[in-house]
Amino acid sequence: MTERMAQAGAEVLVERVSKSFGRISALREASLHVEPGQAVVITGRSGSGKSTLLALVGGLEQPDAGRVVIDGRAIWREPHPARARREVVGFVFQRHLLLETLSAQTNVEVPLLGAGMRHAERRRRALELLDEVGLADRAEHVPARLSGGERQRVAVARALANEPRLLLADEPTGALDSVTSERILDLLFGLRDRLGMTMILVSYDSAIGARADRTVTIVDGLIHDHDAHDDARASAS
Amino acid sequence: MLSIIVTNLRRRPTRTVLTAAGIAVGVATIVALLSFTQGLQESASGFVHLGGSELGVFQANVSDPTTSVLPESMVGRLRRRPEVAQATPLLLIVEGIKRDPAAVVFGAQSDGFFTKQLVIVGGARPTSWQTEALVGDRLAAQLRLSPGSTLDVKGRAYRVAGVYHSGILFEDSGAVLGLAEAQRLIERPDEETNVIVRLSPGTRASAAARAIERDFPGTQAITTPEQALRAGANGTLISKAILVIVAIAIIVGVIGVMNTMAMSIAERRGELGLLSTVGWSPQRVATLILGEGIAVSILGAAGGLLLGVIGGDLLVRALGVSSYVSPSVTAWGLGRGLLVGVAIGVLGGIYPAWRVTRMTPLKALSGT
Ligand SMILES: Nc1ncnc2c1ncn2[C@@H]1O[C@H](COP(=O)(O)OP(=O)(O)O)[C@@H](O)[C@H]1O
Ligand SMILES: [Mg+2]
Repeated sequence: MTERMAQAGAEVLVERVSKSFGRISALREASLHVEPGQAVVITGRSGSGKSTLLALVGGLEQPDAGRVVIDGRAIWREPHPARARREVVGFVFQRHLLLETLSAQTNVEVPLLGAGMRHAERRRRALELLDEVGLADRAEHVPARLSGGERQRVAVARALANEPRLLLADEPTGALDSVTSERILDLLFGLRDRLGMTMILVSYDSAIGARADRTVTIVDGLIHDHDAHDDARASAS
Repeated sequence: MLSIIVTNLRRRPTRTVLTAAGIAVGVATIVALLSFTQGLQESASGFVHLGGSELGVFQANVSDPTTSVLPESMVGRLRRRPEVAQATPLLLIVEGIKRDPAAVVFGAQSDGFFTKQLVIVGGARPTSWQTEALVGDRLAAQLRLSPGSTLDVKGRAYRVAGVYHSGILFEDSGAVLGLAEAQRLIERPDEETNVIVRLSPGTRASAAARAIERDFPGTQAITTPEQALRAGANGTLISKAILVIVAIAIIVGVIGVMNTMAMSIAERRGELGLLSTVGWSPQRVATLILGEGIAVSILGAAGGLLLGVIGGDLLVRALGVSSYVSPSVTAWGLGRGLLVGVAIGVLGGIYPAWRVTRMTPLKALSGT
């Protein structure tokens, strides 16, 4: 196990961001501020704009209006958005999106390959990450030979490969049974506690909010920022 | 990167094999046709150098050199020219041998240089040119003829006196009769197909050809294989047809590969979007796709080379022209096939790869 407490969390600033797809307005002047190391859960109905918000935060899409700033960097405005993603963000999706021809280990190596890391170093790091998610003995398996929970664990290991300061998870347990879901959530929140990165987790299950520092609800592209637990505690004292 | 390319291709064998097969067919067509044209060139050069001559005089504007007709008086007039060392007339009979319609029968003077340069490898030269014939070693092998057996030409039986070898495909796949006997056989006395000429030392073939064509209007003097190919309207047609077919083969190959690559990319949008999401630059994603395209193309091209060599042979057999054309497989021909195959892969891969780099990762991820 590697302890990388030195790895700080990123600060996320979303300012009056709007995004439409054709005539569908997915987000309307959404604003959100997440402090370094915070774990925020975003809930809302299907189609309310949760994935869109996450994609904008992670620099997968460009906002129509407004600004997304991660640690002072506006990812989409940079000349190499892919590189900015690689340096700051780790993604976990509902579908594991593992490359089905590659072994678990190589799947974890994929982001490192994108960063141009050397082979031996890549291999060492991938095995270390698989160990971290409890799959040290599955390194050579292709996704088809792993269970749903195991695949999602590989996806988590892959998201951690580039030591992101911001972990974005879009319904990471949406395709899993309740027991497996709990294990994946334990893994994600445990990693956050240990590594200290900022985490934004999308879920339609508002019960998960109990694990988070703060819950945000989106309704039809509008953000309702609940009082965060610690904010509430802070104001109460 | 390379290992990912190899793994991707190996773990999706059906797609890899189908794509490679598409390319192989394109490359095979190209190689087969190129080896066929090359063979055509080489046999045309044999046609030019019949009997070891440097120049052949034919009637101009014929559909096919074998349909040329010249008067018998040509030979004497040619022989008197200073640039001509030796000249001898030939009468070509095509489709004269039923058992091998592609074989050409040469009517030649027994004392002309055409007959004299034939090396007898079995039996002897005929003693009576009215009843005996010589057969080339290839024809002899094909029809199982040997000295003493009978050769049927246009319904008339000749005794095989000897078997010869000259090294020229046309001649070795054919047979030789006396000129007078050949003229009598096809009822064309006083006529010949062409006159073959050996030039005096120091004479340039092209200059001699021009002088002869000037002094004998209505004739053409052939000195190069290209000329021989173009000499007849049919030859020109064949060359052009082959050019068109090669072009079509290349276009079909490119479209096939583009189609396969585009399909494979549509199928993998999610995967490619993921690569972009985890920080692969568009260039790196494009390199992966192009790399796969090129690797499949090399596989396909290699298979295509093999198919093409076999196909060239089949083509010649199917057309029944093995007496005129022996497909010639050259390193350059194969190299070109391989080059075209890889070029197809690159061309076919570029557009889909470019498309991928234009996609935003989210579109790719949500699309599947
Ligand atoms: N790539 C897209 N193209 C067109 N419409 C989209 C696209 N992505 C999302 N939408 C639309 O935007 C709205 C919000 O979608 P999304 O953010 O995925 O919601 P959620 O994740 O909360 O279910 C929906 O109406 C959806 O149909
Ligand atoms: Mg969603």
